[in-house]
Amino acid sequence: MTALLTVENLSVRFPIKRGWGKTSWLYAVDDVSFEVQRGETLAIVGESGSGKTTAALGVARLVGNSGGKVDLAGEDFLALKPEALRRARAKVQVIFQDPYSSLNPRLRAEAIVREPMDSIGTLPVDQRPARVAELFEQVGLRPEQMKLFPHQFSGGQRQRIGIARALATNPELIICDEAVSALDVAVQAQILNLLRRLQRDLGLTYLFISHDLGVVQHMSDHIAVMYMGKIVEYADRLSLFNSPRHPYTKALLSAVPSVDQKRKVERLLIPGDPPDPLNPPRGCRFASRCPFVEDACRSEQPPLTEVAAHHKVACIKA
Amino acid sequence: MTEPLLKIENLRIELALRSGQAPVIDDLSLELRPGETLSFVGESGCGKSMTALAIMGLLPEKVGSIAGGRILFDGRDMAQMNDAQLRSIRGNEISMIFQEPMTSLNPVYTVGEQIAEVLRRHKGMSKQAAWARAIELLDAVRIPNAKSRVSDYPHQMSGGQRQRVMIAIALACAPKILIADEPTTALDVTVQAQIFDLLRDLGRETGTAIILITHDMGAVSEMADRMVVVYAGRKAEDGPVAPVISHPRHPYTKGLISCVPHLLAELTEERPDLTEVPGIVPALASFGADACLFASRCDMADDKCRSSRPPEVAFGEQHSACWKADQL
Repeated sequence: MTALLTVENLSVRFPIKRGWGKTSWLYAVDDVSFEVQRGETLAIVGESGSGKTTAALGVARLVGNSGGKVDLAGEDFLALKPEALRRARAKVQVIFQDPYSSLNPRLRAEAIVREPMDSIGTLPVDQRPARVAELFEQVGLRPEQMKLFPHQFSGGQRQRIGIARALATNPELIICDEAVSALDVAVQAQILNLLRRLQRDLGLTYLFISHDLGVVQHMSDHIAVMYMGKIVEYADRLSLFNSPRHPYTKALLSAVPSVDQKRKVERLLIPGDPPDPLNPPRGCRFASRCPFVEDACRSEQPPLTEVAAHHKVACIKA
Repeated sequence: MTEPLLKIENLRIELALRSGQAPVIDDLSLELRPGETLSFVGESGCGKSMTALAIMGLLPEKVGSIAGGRILFDGRDMAQMNDAQLRSIRGNEISMIFQEPMTSLNPVYTVGEQIAEVLRRHKGMSKQAAWARAIELLDAVRIPNAKSRVSDYPHQMSGGQRQRVMIAIALACAPKILIADEPTTALDVTVQAQIFDLLRDLGRETGTAIILITHDMGAVSEMADRMVVVYAGRKAEDGPVAPVISHPRHPYTKGLISCVPHLLAELTEERPDLTEVPGIVPALASFGADACLFASRCDMADDKCRSSRPPEVAFGEQHSACWKADQL
């Protein structure tokens, strides 16, 4: 297997204005490195504000001010000039969370799906209508629906339009940003199955952002757990779910209610809220909420260290 | 068996549509006993929240109305009560928390004022007494440093803390029934776990019965004693949680459980496709039909399902409205 995406020391920061001329920087993603193999799914999980979405969108330079190194299919993304970046974005597309606000209400479905091809110019103009028809079929929409407007579709169908649009430029990497969170459970299953089928058929690579650990367990090959802009644990699917090592991961997993009666995990409570991101603690960022904290945790940031094959943890006690 | 606290009999709620009246709740009966947690489950648009609003007497005016049936609370029919009678029950004996803790709190009053308001209105407490009680309540819902947080405005609190404030308001008058409408949907899982623990403990301490509206079967199996599965305004299935989840007697219940990837005790390499429930909930206009409304999405449906409404069949304490319940 080869890495499609290699991210080294990625930081994404946002300027926070504080009075005249004073700017402090909020590091939403702080020195994060990971790899995604071609054809696999890397899920990034964490609570709201952990930086999971920013990390993924930062890779495509869609938010904030990115630093570090991002190599996507041989292209150094963070070094690209605007025009080259626009073209390179054909390789990375996004499926957004809210199928209601992410589609232009004034465009017909076919125009929405066609738009990325028009703006990036990936296909000769005369071939675009046929490609749109092909995409409609791939995501399970009927040809006569091409002429309809977004409000004439149900939530699940709209998300299919969003998926067709993301596929339009033949991307190698698709960022699924909470792609099923806004959908009803029955529709969610339809979309998840569709995403898996498309991955098998087209050899897609997914960067899958979700807060729903059940969905992540079903979709991912590897998982990165983020807390306050840092990856605290990285592992393959079986290792992460069957033997989590970081206290934060354990707390997250123990908090999920399940119908499996055999799954009786002792709930690990983490009290309070994460500390102020503008003023992060010097040591481990989870120290203030960690039930196993000791003095050493507060003085130095634990590095992400390999504890087993394909399993890295940033905790001195792991 | 103890006398039920709330008894809904053959409730029918109609919504006015352009094309006429449509029953959003059609012949729904259920009982809630003191101290128990009952869960309403179903997709959006199935009438879960409508039932809750009807119990609270909060149906949207001129659009929704109770067209038949009774809602008996402590032996009195709430469907027949006037506004003043309802107001004395609402927020006092029956209270409700909503999905969005940010939009349900008033941004221009401190949380203390909002808790005290309930106490002064319903219990006639003095300003000082209500304020002191507000601090106790914040403490009871485990907000650290309640004494100073009581003068915070909602925007100064996190989502989880705001939901705790909502719970404090709802519990201020020690209600007999607490209706929680998707109380944790907007919250992170760790916060959700804290809120669930809190609700469970409070229910145990005060004997408050809880109606939990949710679409998350995991939450149901963790929180509830009994569950009612609602589909297109009708009861599809009800019964004690454990048997319903381990052996659902309605294809819709079965679909709701198996279409969600649940965390398992031991994860394996194997990853079969999720079970799909094809299609979506039918449009409101077709809600009243004499047929099984789930038939269009059900792989077991036959002509009988499409032409007559299935009656409720009992399997012990479990009831299912499906013509083929015995085959499941």
